[in-house]
Amino acid sequence: MQEELKVHKHFQTQEIGSLKKPSWLLNVVKNPEISKDDKARARNDAALLNIKMLEDIGLDIIYDGEARRVEMYEEPVRYIKGFEFAGRVRSWDNKYYNKARITSEIGYKQNFHADEFMFIKENAKHKIKVPVTGAYTLADWSYDEYYKSKEDLVIALARKVVRPLVKDLVKLGAKIIQIDEPAATSHPLEMDIFRQSVNESVKGINAKVVVHACFSGNDYEALAPYMPEIKAEQYTLEFANRDTWNLGVSDKERKGYHVLKLFKEYGFKGEIGIGVTDVHVDKIETTKLIRDRILYSAKALGDPAKVYVNPDCGLRTRSRAVAFEKLKVMVEGAELARQTIGN
Amino acid sequence: MISSYTIGIYPRSEKLIDATRTNAKNLASLYLAEKKEYIVIQKKARLGYVCDPLVDWDDIFRPFSKLKSVKPEALNRVYETNTFYRKLALDGDFADAGNIVKSHLAVSLLPKNRTVCLVDPYTFADVHVSSRYRKKDELALSIAKMLRKEIDTLVKSGFSLIQLVAPSIAYNPKVDFSTVKDALNIITKGLKAKTILHFYFGDITKKLERLLDMPVSGLGIDTTTTPISSIKKHSFSGKTLAIGIVNSYNTKLEDKHELVTEINNIISKTKPNEAFVTTNFDLQYLPKEFAVRKILKLGEIARGVKSA
Repeated sequence: MQEELKVHKHFQTQEIGSLKKPSWLLNVVKNPEISKDDKARARNDAALLNIKMLEDIGLDIIYDGEARRVEMYEEPVRYIKGFEFAGRVRSWDNKYYNKARITSEIGYKQNFHADEFMFIKENAKHKIKVPVTGAYTLADWSYDEYYKSKEDLVIALARKVVRPLVKDLVKLGAKIIQIDEPAATSHPLEMDIFRQSVNESVKGINAKVVVHACFSGNDYEALAPYMPEIKAEQYTLEFANRDTWNLGVSDKERKGYHVLKLFKEYGFKGEIGIGVTDVHVDKIETTKLIRDRILYSAKALGDPAKVYVNPDCGLRTRSRAVAFEKLKVMVEGAELARQTIGN
Repeated sequence: MISSYTIGIYPRSEKLIDATRTNAKNLASLYLAEKKEYIVIQKKARLGYVCDPLVDWDDIFRPFSKLKSVKPEALNRVYETNTFYRKLALDGDFADAGNIVKSHLAVSLLPKNRTVCLVDPYTFADVHVSSRYRKKDELALSIAKMLRKEIDTLVKSGFSLIQLVAPSIAYNPKVDFSTVKDALNIITKGLKAKTILHFYFGDITKKLERLLDMPVSGLGIDTTTTPISSIKKHSFSGKTLAIGIVNSYNTKLEDKHELVTEINNIISKTKPNEAFVTTNFDLQYLPKEFAVRKILKLGEIARGVKSA
């Protein structure tokens, strides 16, 4: 049973998605001697462990650290008609991802997150937010050999894959869907395609829609004008990795969060899940730093009820010990911020 | 037939990828074997110029982190791609430059018709940081001097075509052309090698007239970002034109006849002194299997085009 949170609680805490997989899980799933059933049991154990860890830390909204997903791109692509894996290409240094070609018309085969979601629903006590890789990112990270334009491909993915997937998840009981779009702002001139991508993906969906977009060098300035037109109630965004580590709530200390004012200027009235934890460094933020980032954001948006609190992005690049410590401090920082405003 | 070459870093094979992920003991020998293999493929494709595939380079800048006072820092996105490089802190005077690039190339494996890919000084300065040089133009000129030392060594080692990749010139809406020109002058003055300035990741239509005035042998243009119709509007008389028409960003294989016709048309309109056909940028954006097909296709296309 999911715990119903008090409606007046400000600064609700949440994760973005991925956590590093435990080494024992990787040893099991990569071992050809181990049976399919035992691998499935290991994935369940890892998911359960993550759920319990995240709940014990005190996050208000959780998932399972994407324990059973290979990776956010490769996982869905495995289950979508029209894709064929081409091979691995480099992201940086010795890190790679398995990139696919689109060689025929896109099609939805099945709800590939159904088992995962049902397991979490049965085992979680806190609210659940389901991360789903977005159509724009799926298109941007693939080789298109079939569609006439990127826009055609994105719309096809939104209508024929993401929308039916989200509908199926909602039918199973999902209340919050996070559309993961790390590529969202990487092409500032394609923001209108991105807008269509989200809107087509969630058309007719009866659930809270959250959009997660990574930072791509233009400080979300490209995204801001489109935010009011995109059918998302909340954006979870990166801020901490561009902010200072100094305490304080002035513009000088909180330079990573200035863009929040721009969102307001463009007329966005929804919620922002503010990234308060830098996922690229092992250094742990202090509770006071988290508090100050939250308080600055609340002031910038003009309403504390619109501020949710999360790490900048998934924490899979950090060790599990560092990730859990960062989340723990984040939860404590949010509590400190609530105390400061008397919530 | 016109000449041809590829640009930048090649992809690693699946075997090499696995080895880099486990930091295998035989990594150095695997790098060498893969370099040999790619050089054979370029020869088989009968490319006009052959390059080291740079499969042991983490990114196009990383060898320069071996210079004193240059330190690799945080990851940064390569323009609008899903690929990242390490920003360098360029805090020294580069006094120890001169042999960094050559020492990272398998020179002995290359035939006489060899080419090498470096980053132009403007782009280099644009995408890194420096506490020593507060102004980007000063940094660009200092980098140009450093690169000149490197290029002199490479020319002495038989590299007769120097590629200078300049994505920032293509990508940035505003470019300080005066700095670009001054920096290129440092590199090319009295140099006994061809220098081609390559543009990708941005449309250079509005910059082309200025760029034709740059002190380099020629320009290389990615035709997926700069429309061919724009290129055709300009005369390349007295210049070399490298047509970046084989797409390193899509697995779809080009149609030889279609491209040969297009290239013949571009050459007849622009009348360059010399023309090349090239990839539009690094082949590392493709898995190896597809990169190899593109290299072979590049050779086929080059052989099908009429001489400039």
